[in-house]
Amino acid sequence: MLFVLAFIVLPAHAGNYESERFRIQYGAVNIGGENQVSSGGYNLSVSLGQNAAGEFQSNGYVVKAGFQYLHSIIPFRFTISNTNMNFGTIVPQVPATQQTVLTVSFGGAGAYQVTAQEETPLKTLAAVTIPDTACDNESDPCTETSSKPWRNAAAYGFGYNMSGEDIPPDFSDSGFYRPFPDLFSKESPETVMTSTNVGKNKQSTVTFKVNVSPIQAAGSYQSIVKFVATPSY
Amino acid sequence: MKRILSSILAICFCLFAVSSVTAQQLSLSITPPLLELSIKPGKSVLIAYTVGNYGDPAALRAKVLPFRAKDNHGNIVIENEFSGPVRFSLDNADIQMEQPFFAKSREKKQLLLRIRIPEGAPDGDYYYSFLVESQPAPGTEGVSSSQAQGTIGSNILVTVTGSGRIDIKGKVSRFEALKGFSLNLFGKKIKVFDSTDKIPVVLEVANDGKNMIKPEGDIVLKGNFDEQAKYELLSQNILAGSSRILSATPSAELRRPLKEPVSLVLSGFFLGRYQLSTNISFGEGTPNIYSQTSFIALPIKFIAGFIVAIFLTTYIVKKLKK
Repeated sequence: MLFVLAFIVLPAHAGNYESERFRIQYGAVNIGGENQVSSGGYNLSVSLGQNAAGEFQSNGYVVKAGFQYLHSIIPFRFTISNTNMNFGTIVPQVPATQQTVLTVSFGGAGAYQVTAQEETPLKTLAAVTIPDTACDNESDPCTETSSKPWRNAAAYGFGYNMSGEDIPPDFSDSGFYRPFPDLFSKESPETVMTSTNVGKNKQSTVTFKVNVSPIQAAGSYQSIVKFVATPSY
Repeated sequence: MKRILSSILAICFCLFAVSSVTAQQLSLSITPPLLELSIKPGKSVLIAYTVGNYGDPAALRAKVLPFRAKDNHGNIVIENEFSGPVRFSLDNADIQMEQPFFAKSREKKQLLLRIRIPEGAPDGDYYYSFLVESQPAPGTEGVSSSQAQGTIGSNILVTVTGSGRIDIKGKVSRFEALKGFSLNLFGKKIKVFDSTDKIPVVLEVANDGKNMIKPEGDIVLKGNFDEQAKYELLSQNILAGSSRILSATPSAELRRPLKEPVSLVLSGFFLGRYQLSTNISFGEGTPNIYSQTSFIALPIKFIAGFIVAIFLTTYIVKKLKK
């Protein structure tokens, strides 16, 4: 009886599926264009709109600019709220942290990624380094691809935590850290934000943390961390 | 009175004398975000990129590096060294490749990127990222610090072909509904879901050819009573020798996203057996490829609740009768 009722009363209407948040993929936003491409006798124009799709043709080559399936007034934009993470004077066994917010707007680029990599570990001009962190448990250390808890004041090094949108799932709370991949040691950059969903103003917070041992040489330690944001292809 | 005045002066002195620490913000934009170029050897094109600086004034630098696909959902790995036969240069009078240039706040710079394919360059695909990076400020003397360097990129997909012919070899490498539980029915595995479940579907297409492909098509869901819903595939590029999970629209969203990306999330009330099929084309003159899968949806939660309710009612009635 129940099944009969279910089949009669509740047929599946595949065309009327409900969705809490549909993605708008085909916004027909025609906002005009401008001449942007020129080549010996040719003038090609970029046109932001559904009809033109940014496709240009000429003899010997075909150029397509932008994403054919997405047209948006939001350009691909990447923001770092603070580029200077100043730890001040680092006191042994007193962790110093600094934060910066990464923001990605990507209306015209369906998917994106942000990668991070340090040029070198924190080091002085005399090349004395603060090693990258292994987190609390050295026998099961955090790595460039997997974060682990780093709460112990007797665990030393330099690392980062991520919170916010589109971040790697292993950053389960604010106590989980990873070391940055090191360009000097030829380690590949690691993805810190990525999404295949269309959206704007995706934000995450990077917390830089440094903690040194009492025998760490005093000095002014510096490093450069590279964040690279690219839309997908 | 003197004390009050000296206190106010001291507070003012502290407020004004303390050196202000300001956060340096970097905010860059780039258009177009993607460039696809099919070109003959010996030809060149000039592309105008617009780089916007929406943060503090910054010293920037432009460069081009090759990239490769990292995974099957569109992420890339940018190589450290330049390689390949494609030649890149900037036609700007005042800005050169790999040389720093200055961008004021809210300034938009047009970078004229010339892409040249030398004569005799071998046919094939070459993938690059046009990158604009900030020049990190020197660290403050006497303190320890880490400087963040920001780079924004736009990908360039170059297909070099002398004849105009390209090698298209696409195939569906994976097409299935995820989650649910598998039921072995007459030697055939079939996924079973609760009627109210959101059903994630993954469609992965592999490119075994020498050139990138751009599949077009749809995913069709057919139900018990021949009702059907069509979900259009976004025509995303699949690089040569790689595979990619395609996206279909419109799609619902999962409350808790899965570890891997999905092509489509079906949402609604499902009952009975459903068939999912996909028909993909790679452009004119190429054969379409077809694949299908199916799943069963049953009101499991409803039935379980109903049985529990019957048991409880029977129990209560028996208790009351006693």
